[in-house]
Amino acid sequence: MKYTQNLSPDERKMMRSVFWRSWTMNASRTGATQYHALGVIYTLLPVINKFYKTKEDRAEAIVRHTTWFNATMHINNFIMGLVASMEKKNSEDPDFDTSSITAVKASLMGPLSGIGDSFFWGILRVVAAGIGISLASTGSPLGAIVFLLLYNIPAFIIHYYALYGGYSVGANFIERMYESGGMKILTKVSSILGLMMMGSMTASNVKFQTILQVSVKGSKEAMKIQTYLDQLFIGIVPLAVTLVSFWLIRNKKVNVNWVMLGIMVLGIILGMCGIC
Amino acid sequence: MLTNALLAALAVFICFAGNYLTGQSMMERPLVVGLVTGLLMGDMRTGILMGASLEAIFLGNVNIGGVIAAEPVTASVISTTFAITSGVSTSAALTLAIPVGMLAAFVVMFLKNVFMNIFAPVLDKIAREGKEKQIVALHYGTWIIYYVIISSISFIGIYAGSGPVNEFVKTIPQNVMNGLNAAGGLLPAVGFAMLMKLLWDNKLAVYYLLGFILTAYVKLPAVAVAALGIVICVAVAQSEIRFNKMASEGVAGSANKTAMTAEEEEEDFFS
Repeated sequence: MKYTQNLSPDERKMMRSVFWRSWTMNASRTGATQYHALGVIYTLLPVINKFYKTKEDRAEAIVRHTTWFNATMHINNFIMGLVASMEKKNSEDPDFDTSSITAVKASLMGPLSGIGDSFFWGILRVVAAGIGISLASTGSPLGAIVFLLLYNIPAFIIHYYALYGGYSVGANFIERMYESGGMKILTKVSSILGLMMMGSMTASNVKFQTILQVSVKGSKEAMKIQTYLDQLFIGIVPLAVTLVSFWLIRNKKVNVNWVMLGIMVLGIILGMCGIC
Repeated sequence: MLTNALLAALAVFICFAGNYLTGQSMMERPLVVGLVTGLLMGDMRTGILMGASLEAIFLGNVNIGGVIAAEPVTASVISTTFAITSGVSTSAALTLAIPVGMLAAFVVMFLKNVFMNIFAPVLDKIAREGKEKQIVALHYGTWIIYYVIISSISFIGIYAGSGPVNEFVKTIPQNVMNGLNAAGGLLPAVGFAMLMKLLWDNKLAVYYLLGFILTAYVKLPAVAVAALGIVICVAVAQSEIRFNKMASEGVAGSANKTAMTAEEEEEDFFS
């Protein structure tokens, strides 16, 4: 816990309060113009109360944070830590430019969410769900529990270090990570893991079975088309359907709902023709 | 039916509102929603199986930047409730989840972007006045209001929808039902397609195929594929780091030879 060593007991208490409040940051809703601004204010109240003594200063700090805020959960704590350290500086230094606090929030939201969304939603959740689904498919309640644990244990650790890291390291950390090329490697290997899990889950979760049979002259038994499909390549139809959907969504920019509707219509047509 | 409708609304509230109170802990995912709904409705096994299938369908339905195509919680609760309480086959219930999810997504988008705006001036006012207690109250108050409204969608859906849905399902001919089952089997493809959009890189596409083959042919369980994936990731990261080091040394090395003519460089290239 190298981050907490430099903090005074008072600051430690404040940060602990911020840490627990930050879990509810995305809970409240005040519409599209503010998004999670209310959650941000709620999270930062201990910081504002500690560093500002007069009612006017506190109100000013609260108003400053009523601006639109939305960033990926957990990684958004890095911004909270950063903002907390800037509020501290602002309370000590009368020449501090308060617009830089808003600027840091606005400029970090996008890039951090980009990393956060693909890591939390694209990789961590997918790996956890892959394992969870395979357990739950047997009817075991362990599926959901393992899924929650696999997702939330890493998330909790990141949630913690993002906050304290942001508070003590500062804004140039992200820049250094980009310059050293570490970010590129991280993106690449996480994509590899994500894609492997995608492939594995396509094979186990997309299902297709045709009941079509062709009777052949001279042979007593009808030939099952499914057997031939399996000899060609196991799961060729699910793989093809997935890749076509992917191509439609990514390259043709077709709305997802249309693709879903298309598959439902395809299924009904296949059923009416007696193929499935 | 009233009890079922109330239990369905409760399941939505527990999973959806709970999810946002615990830092988006993924309680809102069908895998968990299915289990919770199953427990409340008294048929845990069906709930879990529905959850597993729905998770695959809605896997790609990620809530990025606040835009969602379908709302998985309401979809999971309503379709699981139908599967448990009205004897609709699980595959047919799965296809029901899609239109329900889209409809719910529309309501949710309207709620969070338009309706909840009525609280924005309230926040502005209490922020100017620095009233902290009101801020805390507004934070949890809007949380309750928002998710109670969302839960009521499921209440209405189950309370009013069960009769018509049952009647409708009875009149569907068998081959259409088979088709719906087939569609239910293929629908997860869309979920994976959406996620792949997030991760895809033409150079890394072979890893998708690797994952597919390991499961379809080698029949490895998901845990083994994930573990193997981590091994590959570490190996790739190590070689990338070595490559980065070599590249930076190479840059430093070539900087000493800036006097090299174009011809010499060409020779160097072909040697």
